[in-house]
Amino acid sequence: MQLHSRPEMASVFNELETSRLYIAKQHSRAYWSVGLGAVCLLAGFLFGLVGIGFSILVVGLVAGFVIFARVGKKANAYKLDFKYKVIGTALKELDDSLQINPQSGISEQDFIDSCLFSQTPDRYKTEDLVYGKIDKTQIHFAEVHAEYKTETQTKNGKQTQWHDIFKGIIFCADFNKNFNGLTLVKPKGFGGAFGKWLSQNVLGNKQIVELENVDFEKMFITESGDQIEARYILTPSLMEKLLELNQYANSTISVSFISSSVYIAFPLNHNYFEAPIFKSLLNADVLEKDLNMLRLMCHVVQELDLNTRIWTKQ
Amino acid sequence: MIILGIIAIVVLLIGVGIYNSLIGKKNQVTNAFSAIDVMLKKRYDLIPNLVETIKQYMQYESETLAKITQMRTQGANANLSDAEKVQLDQQLGAAVKGVMLNVENYPDLKANTNFINLQSTWTESEEQIAAARRTYNAAVTAYNNGVMMFPSSIFAGMMGYQTMPVLETPAEERKNISAKELFNN
Repeated sequence: MQLHSRPEMASVFNELETSRLYIAKQHSRAYWSVGLGAVCLLAGFLFGLVGIGFSILVVGLVAGFVIFARVGKKANAYKLDFKYKVIGTALKELDDSLQINPQSGISEQDFIDSCLFSQTPDRYKTEDLVYGKIDKTQIHFAEVHAEYKTETQTKNGKQTQWHDIFKGIIFCADFNKNFNGLTLVKPKGFGGAFGKWLSQNVLGNKQIVELENVDFEKMFITESGDQIEARYILTPSLMEKLLELNQYANSTISVSFISSSVYIAFPLNHNYFEAPIFKSLLNADVLEKDLNMLRLMCHVVQELDLNTRIWTKQ
Repeated sequence: MIILGIIAIVVLLIGVGIYNSLIGKKNQVTNAFSAIDVMLKKRYDLIPNLVETIKQYMQYESETLAKITQMRTQGANANLSDAEKVQLDQQLGAAVKGVMLNVENYPDLKANTNFINLQSTWTESEEQIAAARRTYNAAVTAYNNGVMMFPSSIFAGMMGYQTMPVLETPAEERKNISAKELFNN
């Protein structure tokens, strides 16, 4: 049943919609006052009254700022309510154990320990932690934006540039088999084939695992400290399933198997679970992207068969 | 003269590189087979316990159990060739799988904790052996490429290296593992 057509959700949506309309109105007022100030400044330039135009712009900016500040608390409460009440209910519909904590995420240390990316972040943001246990498998995932910086010396001094290490969803689940080491499945990317050949034949890198699935080998490069363990984890069926999952991400996914868990980094551009301000909450399609993403995350457990516990790990 | 000397050194270095690479690849094949051997031995150690647990419940399967015990003894003691070891392992795997599939007819055995643990350990060892076999095949493929591809094929010929056969994957291993099939739930 769709979330919007559930009778018990009607009051939740109506209540949130009332808040949204108020916030949208206040935001519109703020934008108008800033916009009006800008128009006055432009008119001031045209008619030689720059001083007056500039004064009106300052008043407009101050008024806009005051309106934003006054409505800020209410807007934050509305956004949190949306996450707890709407997204929380959607999660319960997928699996009763799933919960959301909007103010938490995947810690930076967890991100580093997952070994998904070799670069250590200089700036790290995370939010919207979803966690629970689907049948026998403990899972958690959150939005993550990790960046590193580079500094260049220019005439005007040092200039800092920020580059994405990763932006999207990091998914973590308890893996259904026991293993000791680290196995990494990384996107092959540009020059990957040559890099792989170089590291295998010239640098003598024995960490690279040559797998049988041709499509998988075209897409990914696999590294592990233990060749047998890597193949024990990456069975022919798991390779097929990872290729299927890869189709849902914006660019190639990265997967790591470490400390009894599987981490999957899904590069995605959308900021999920954000309550709309200028779009009605009563439209069913407002949740479409969020729900699709949630279904995908729950689907990972089924897709990777993580609830099959026929090995010694229960 | 200097140029000729440099060329000679480069050719010599390439030769040493190819020679070492071939030896490395051959050692990897030996190493990969040793890993299979270790895992087979680990699996043989499971047999007495498994047979002992099953015997109490499955009197009608005594003939199959005796056959499994005999195969285990044969595999653990005799000096078998690599090919014979692999063949024996495939027969043993098929026999135990047959017994596991019959567990449905013995509800008491199906509920026995010791048996459930042994069954999980067996399934794990099956997958580990399959992984070791795939590692061996990857090592053999790399070695065979070295033996057959130019210019390393020249060195391989001089060293008396010949291609090796890869291990065939039993038909049932190619299928995905199904919990339902294994446990008859």
